[in-house]
Amino acid sequence: MQEKIFDPKLESYEKEILSYKSFKFKPSKIRKIVGESPRVKSFYLEKQMKCLTRPGQFVMVWLPGHEEVPMSITDEGEDFIRISVSREGTTTSELHKLEIGSTLFLRGPFGNGFSLDGKSFLVVGGGYGVAPLIYAAKILSKNNVRCSYIQGAKTKSDLLFLDEVKNMDVELNLATDDGSEGFKGRATELMESVLDTREFDFILTCGSEQMMHRVVQLGVERSIRAQASLERYMKCGFGICGSCVLDPVGLRVCTEGPIFEGNFLLNTEFGKQKRDLSGSRVTIDDEKRK
Amino acid sequence: MTGLTTNIGNIELRNPTILASGVLCNGTILKRAAAEGAGAVITKSITIEKRSGYSTPIITGVEGGLVNAVGLANPGYKEYLSQDLPIAKDGEVPVVVSVAGRETEEFMEICIEAEKVGADAVELNLSCPHVEKRGLEIGSDPVAVGRIVKEVKGALKIPVHTKLGLSDNLQNSAIAAQDAGTDAVVAINTIKAMAIDVQARMPVLSNIYGGLSGTAIHPIALRCVHELYSNLSIPVVGCGGVKDWQTAVEFLLAGASAVQIGSAVAIEGIKIFQEIANGIKLYLNEYGFKNVEEIIGVANG
Repeated sequence: MQEKIFDPKLESYEKEILSYKSFKFKPSKIRKIVGESPRVKSFYLEKQMKCLTRPGQFVMVWLPGHEEVPMSITDEGEDFIRISVSREGTTTSELHKLEIGSTLFLRGPFGNGFSLDGKSFLVVGGGYGVAPLIYAAKILSKNNVRCSYIQGAKTKSDLLFLDEVKNMDVELNLATDDGSEGFKGRATELMESVLDTREFDFILTCGSEQMMHRVVQLGVERSIRAQASLERYMKCGFGICGSCVLDPVGLRVCTEGPIFEGNFLLNTEFGKQKRDLSGSRVTIDDEKRK
Repeated sequence: MTGLTTNIGNIELRNPTILASGVLCNGTILKRAAAEGAGAVITKSITIEKRSGYSTPIITGVEGGLVNAVGLANPGYKEYLSQDLPIAKDGEVPVVVSVAGRETEEFMEICIEAEKVGADAVELNLSCPHVEKRGLEIGSDPVAVGRIVKEVKGALKIPVHTKLGLSDNLQNSAIAAQDAGTDAVVAINTIKAMAIDVQARMPVLSNIYGGLSGTAIHPIALRCVHELYSNLSIPVVGCGGVKDWQTAVEFLLAGASAVQIGSAVAIEGIKIFQEIANGIKLYLNEYGFKNVEEIIGVANG
């Protein structure tokens, strides 16, 4: 079993005591909407949960009449949480049509979250994968922890949260496939050059599974422990349905994850296989990339 | 030395806690449930064809329980039995394959394959409350129950368990299953229910109707098991609202040989099996019982 990824500093933020009613939806009004890129919009939602969230955790978001989808928490304040929605399918397109004052229905927060207990962090996000990382970077910056932040995207307009990250005390490194901003190439290529010049205690990563696999391997080669945020089909979010299982270890991404240790992941299906909505296995290479 | 072993017919369980069908589901998590203490594990209900299940939301919390309509999501029996079942069996506790179907032929096809790949028993799901023609409609018709059980039983060497749901015909269906040769009756499945969100002013589940499980159904399930124990001569397995050793012991006292646990996993985690088994053991010690068998049905006449 993997070592528990858990931030001792955040221990007092432990979850509220669970009861069946914890899995009931709670309404949450949209207070503010920000366009982050042509495809991604952030929604600032009235905070309806009693507890504080931690970076890497997610909420299940239901838009009545449409589906319920898991969404990383991308920021939190005293009275709001933020989710950032990439327009992918019917439900996320409908979410994009919502206006300030509309109500979403939330369950959560669920999942373990990143461990941010360390002296130096390298954060590597690919595309929309930076969603949970921006929140982690905010906490690291606030805690005066040294942090290098790498964001990769196809092109300049797909880069997310740039103004925000520029205001943080982090070292920003950008990569675009077409060279329209920053380094021309992959985030993992840029990562290699960053690793050649600086040392880190931990790597945090989120993005496509192939990218994260490479990030974890680069970390392993240099004995840097990585934490990766996994995505699997989640139907319940609280560990009962089993659809988000990580094989062959039988861990539930929604409950024991979504953050797993890189070393641990290398001995699993990570980067190779996942299950579809029926529970049938699909090869990750075959999967249509978003 | 207090024994926790119990028997459902000729299947021996190291303790009376069983992971209920439809919870955790996939082979590797069934293996984990076994490693964390379950006396036996039941697979998700598998069908002839691959099913993605209903759109989300498929489950919601309510006062005292969960309402779900997953829609029998499964990769189809061929993939499940060839790939998930062998891993589940690595858990080294009995693995029971739950089977859902429309016609006798479908049950037969899946059950025969399950036996071939090493299932310790099959559980006929004649009680799913939220998929048409694949559950409760069959289970509440004693003639249909008798017909399916008889055919399946005639084709298998491994035990055939019949899972029935709450209906006016529960006792008659159970008797029909017994007469047709079933080795045990499992009761009850979730109870047809729904949840409405007052702010959304809509049903929460995409399927509108689902099945209620958890604490709220426990007294009903207990009554069903109590009656079944009186009416049947074969083992009964209790299912519905087990969340701690007390609710488990209640089932045993009512006449259940073992108990299935599902919803409470969401609250207590997978460690619940070991915790309940330990609790039962302390209870038996406290009152001087030597084994589980000594308390089965003692609150029943």
